[in-house]
Amino acid sequence: MSTTAEPLLPIPDALTQFFWDGVAAGELRIQRCQQCRKYVHYPRPVCRFCRSRELAGERVSGRASLYSWTIATQAFHPFWVARVPYTVATVELAEQPRLMFLSQVVECPENELRAGMPLEVTFERVAPELTLPFFRPLRAEAAR
Amino acid sequence: MKRRVAIAGVGYSRVGRNTGLSEADLVIESTLAALADAGLEARDVDGVVSMGSDALRDAWMLGITPLSWFFAGGMGPAFVYAAHQAIAAIASGFCHTALALRIIPQQPTGAKLLGGGGAGHPMTAGLFHASGDRQFSLPFGAGNPPQWAGLLTQRHMAQFGTTAEHFGRHVITQREHAALNDDAFFREPLTMEQYLASRFVSKPLRILDCDYPCDSGSAVIFTTAERARDLRKPAVYVEAAALSATRDLHFEILEDMAETSPKHCAQQLWARTDLRPSDVDTAQLYDGFSVITFQWLEALGFCAPGEAGPFVAAGHTRLGGKLPTNTDGGACNVGRRHGANFCIEAVRQLRGECGARQVKDARVAVFSNSFGPFCGAALLRRE
Repeated sequence: MSTTAEPLLPIPDALTQFFWDGVAAGELRIQRCQQCRKYVHYPRPVCRFCRSRELAGERVSGRASLYSWTIATQAFHPFWVARVPYTVATVELAEQPRLMFLSQVVECPENELRAGMPLEVTFERVAPELTLPFFRPLRAEAAR
Repeated sequence: MKRRVAIAGVGYSRVGRNTGLSEADLVIESTLAALADAGLEARDVDGVVSMGSDALRDAWMLGITPLSWFFAGGMGPAFVYAAHQAIAAIASGFCHTALALRIIPQQPTGAKLLGGGGAGHPMTAGLFHASGDRQFSLPFGAGNPPQWAGLLTQRHMAQFGTTAEHFGRHVITQREHAALNDDAFFREPLTMEQYLASRFVSKPLRILDCDYPCDSGSAVIFTTAERARDLRKPAVYVEAAALSATRDLHFEILEDMAETSPKHCAQQLWARTDLRPSDVDTAQLYDGFSVITFQWLEALGFCAPGEAGPFVAAGHTRLGGKLPTNTDGGACNVGRRHGANFCIEAVRQLRGECGARQVKDARVAVFSNSFGPFCGAALLRRE
């Protein structure tokens, strides 16, 4: 087995560069249709709601609710071998019903995970060359 | 359907782990087995479709030529996709006898996957390159099939109160059926304690909830109802078939993880027949992960949405129950056939060939494949 612990780095393209630029700036940005104002994720070259070609990354609040989760107990890439267990999660972003985002939930014990629990984005530097937008339970001061 | 379609023959290659069989070997062995089962020669076949191998190479090397119709690739819900193309081609008159293949070289797992073997295998290569949509899953340590299966399993539990014991009862039931199948890899009885103690792959998904990776080749020959009447085995007819795709191929960000494409698929299936769920004698429902079988039980109307756990726990899916399900033991026990085993088992049940695991007087069967973004199903019957 390979002992390398290099992470699998994203390979941005013209359609997705905005997202990773946002991460670098500490912002969660999601593609949004400039005509009908709906959000689209994963990024696409056309709006599935109105067929407009005018889409752009826009900052979102970072608020979300937990839709489902799974505790990764087995790694499928060498980088994650030393990092299991961790919580893979599908979250519903606050901006739009059923706007789903795949991430991890951190700073939450497994027995406190609940469907619908409020979350907020937190940027975690998992490796020197990789920062990822994860989610954690919404803190009381942020909820006010 | 414009022309009535029947299943003429079914067959498998040798199946196992590290068999040394090439992809071509899997094609040859499964095709020859299906031809022999049907009592047909290569020259009797005029259409071919394969998921997992090169259909035109396969046809040519086996002397299946000329082809009036073929479907040589594409992405779809595994075996049922190939089956559906063959059914459609015969129903519409483009060919009269079509071979449908699902060819699967064993997928690297565990240390072999991590050590570089994964990047070189067609089924896992994409998991090692975070471009396109995968840049939103793989860097996060996510996006692997057991992980999206874990997400869908967890959602079923959170939304409906489904328990680990419900999934365990399903796994134990399938093992009971496998004990009656000489072709199954796993035949020893399984207890709830053993199920609950089995390791998590992606909690709450356990290793015993997953199909078993292996080398396998599966072949089914479809033909017209007229031709089927003169063949070696009793004809099994395609009563109705349906495909569904409800989004692009992302299981991990499904907008609704509890009701996915099987619901839409089942609506179409039942709209194409006068048969009702209560007419089905045996169900052969895809079990790549346990939660998939649960979704199909619900989508096809055998139980109410969210009720698959209690339905299984009540014993309804056991042999002798009201809906014997996955009577070959399922892909968890017979190994990964990506849905083909469920078609083949349905055919064998309807022919009365299943010996100790035979469902008495089985006249109507349903088989299904895949779930989530895309899937398919078909209803089969004998006269």
